[in-house]
Parts: sequence; C-alpha cells; structure tokens
Amino acid sequence: MSEEDWLRQDRLPHIFCAGCGNGTVINCTLSAVEQIGWKRQETVFVSGIGCSSRAPGYISTDSLHTTHGRALAFATGIKLANPQLNIVVFTGDGDLAAIGGNHFIHACRRNIDLTVVCLNNMIYGMTGGQGSPTTPMGGLSTTTPYGSGEPAFDLCGLATAAGANYVARWTSYHVRELTRAILTGLENPGFSFIESLVQCPTNYGRRNRFKQVADQIEYFKSHTILVEKAARMKEKGEMIPPEMILAGEFVRRNRPALGVRP
Amino acid sequence: MRLQIDERRCKGCNLCTLVCPYRIFKPGKRANRRGIVVPELDRPERCANCRLRHLYGRTLCGTCQMICPDQAISWKEDEEPVPKKVAIEY
Repeated sequence: MSEEDWLRQDRLPHIFCAGCGNGTVINCTLSAVEQIGWKRQETVFVSGIGCSSRAPGYISTDSLHTTHGRALAFATGIKLANPQLNIVVFTGDGDLAAIGGNHFIHACRRNIDLTVVCLNNMIYGMTGGQGSPTTPMGGLSTTTPYGSGEPAFDLCGLATAAGANYVARWTSYHVRELTRAILTGLENPGFSFIESLVQCPTNYGRRNRFKQVADQIEYFKSHTILVEKAARMKEKGEMIPPEMILAGEFVRRNRPALGVRP
Repeated sequence: MRLQIDERRCKGCNLCTLVCPYRIFKPGKRANRRGIVVPELDRPERCANCRLRHLYGRTLCGTCQMICPDQAISWKEDEEPVPKKVAIEY
C-alpha cells in the first residue's frame, strides 16, 4: 500500500484552488496513517463544513461529512459507539474555533481518543473570504476591509489549557515535521490536536500582499519560530517579535483518556 | 525510477519549484490544453529518490510529492529493457 491507494482516484483532481495548502495536509495525514499501518476498514475520517472539510471526500475510507462545527461531536459518537475504530477529524478554523468552539473545548476536556487535524487558513475560504477568529491582527478580509482589529485565537493554547494530551502546530511548508507530528498524534492515546497553518491564495493571500502562492509559503518559512527557541529567548530576556508564529510540539502528556481500547 | 508530473492533476501552483533542493522543477512556459502552465522537469535523472531509492529501500527526499497540493508528482518504475531478437541475415 502507498498513500496513492488511500486516495479516491476517480474524484481527483480535487476542487481546491490552485496552490491551496489543504492538499498538502491531506498528503501528510495519509503518509502518517500509512506509516502507522491502520487498515482502511478500521479508519474513519470525519469533517464538518468548509474547504478543509472536503478532504475526506477524496479519501477511500468510511467518512462522515457533518454539520457546521459539529465534527467533533459526531466523532465522539463514533468513538463511543465503536472504540475499535481509528478516527481522524479534519476541520477548519471557522469550523473548529468559531462555530464549534464549545465542542472543541469539551472534546479536549473529555480527552477522547481522537486525532484532530485543524487546517487553519486564517479565513472563511469557501464562503468568500470573511474574517474568522484566527485572522491575524491587521489581516484584510471581506468583513475586515481596514484590517482585523481583534487579536487572533491561539488554538494550541486553548487545547493545552482545556486538557488535550498532544498539541502541536506546524505549517504547510514544514511537510516532514507535520507528518511526524500527525504520526505522534495518531500513536498517542487521548485527544491529539495538530494545527496546521495553510495558505489560501484565493481569499487570504491576494488580499494580504501574497500575490503568488510561493509568497505565503516563504512567509511561513521565515516567520515560524520553534517553541523551544522561543522559550530560550524568553529565558534570556529577549523580545520575540509579535508577528512570529510559534511552531512545534506544545504539550505531550498522559492524562486519563476516554474511549481508549482496552 | 523516473520522476513524473501528472498533467491531468497539476494546477500549476509552482510549489514544487520552491522546495526541490536540486531545482529540477522549472516554471513552465506554455499552457497545456486545459490552460494550465505545468512545470517542466530539468534533468530529472538528478533526483535523489530516483537514483537511490532501491539502494536504501525507502523514499529518500520526497518533499515535492508531499508538498504538491494536487497529488500530481509521483515516481514510476523504469521498464526493464526487453531484449529483442534480431534475425541477422547475411
């Protein structure tokens, strides 16, 4: 088996825009699932509504395309009904942080044995580029034409505080690290949350001075800083520039988890 | 092994030109039948995965395949050359 066998060949090419990072994260997730050696009959991909949530439609396993923001609620149901199944949830930032925020907090609190891959494109891409809770300060969108005046949501901090077992953040540029993080998340019992920043050239990039797809990837490359390095800088009393994105593994612990196979 | 781009899937985002350490992928010049400018391959035999995959028994670099959002990049096994029987007439 290879990653290619997990894709629904008859559905490709997918409908994502040219240069959309969602496809990259699908590659990384399938590579991790392939490395851990799960069977296709025992794996379920769940998603909500949005660009990112079209991903399970291109994967040849059982999948559930659920209502907006409720992917985690449905995934909890699957896991509790049949703990033998391995569940991966694809979700977007609007899906997870805005409308499904409460489900997210409580899924972290219950520490259900799920792996959640959040494809954070910092905007509502599918509906025309409205600002989402994760649009960075000053980011332009159709609902924030003068720049977003609100601080963005730190999803990893939220998951850590609410009690998830594994929390990591990478971007769609860091494909190797993202694959490794998803693999660790799949292996780890309990709630694993992997946030992946992805580029959205159509709705975010072209409004925010990233004319080419590569520009936003270059931005991710130059504006990420490892968590460990940030901690070292803080110890030395150096300032971390506010536009820097923290990347890496935030937490890995062994709180008691719900729905783990005996 | 041979590197190949699936023209039916590629949408021409040129992300592969950014990540390849050998700069094998070059931005294309001409649009294909669907109006998409597919990147061109510049001496693809330099690709580390093509050369050394069988020796090491695993995918070596593979970053272009991983970052391709359209799952268009893959490697194909070279066909074994079939010896042809040639009747030599004197």
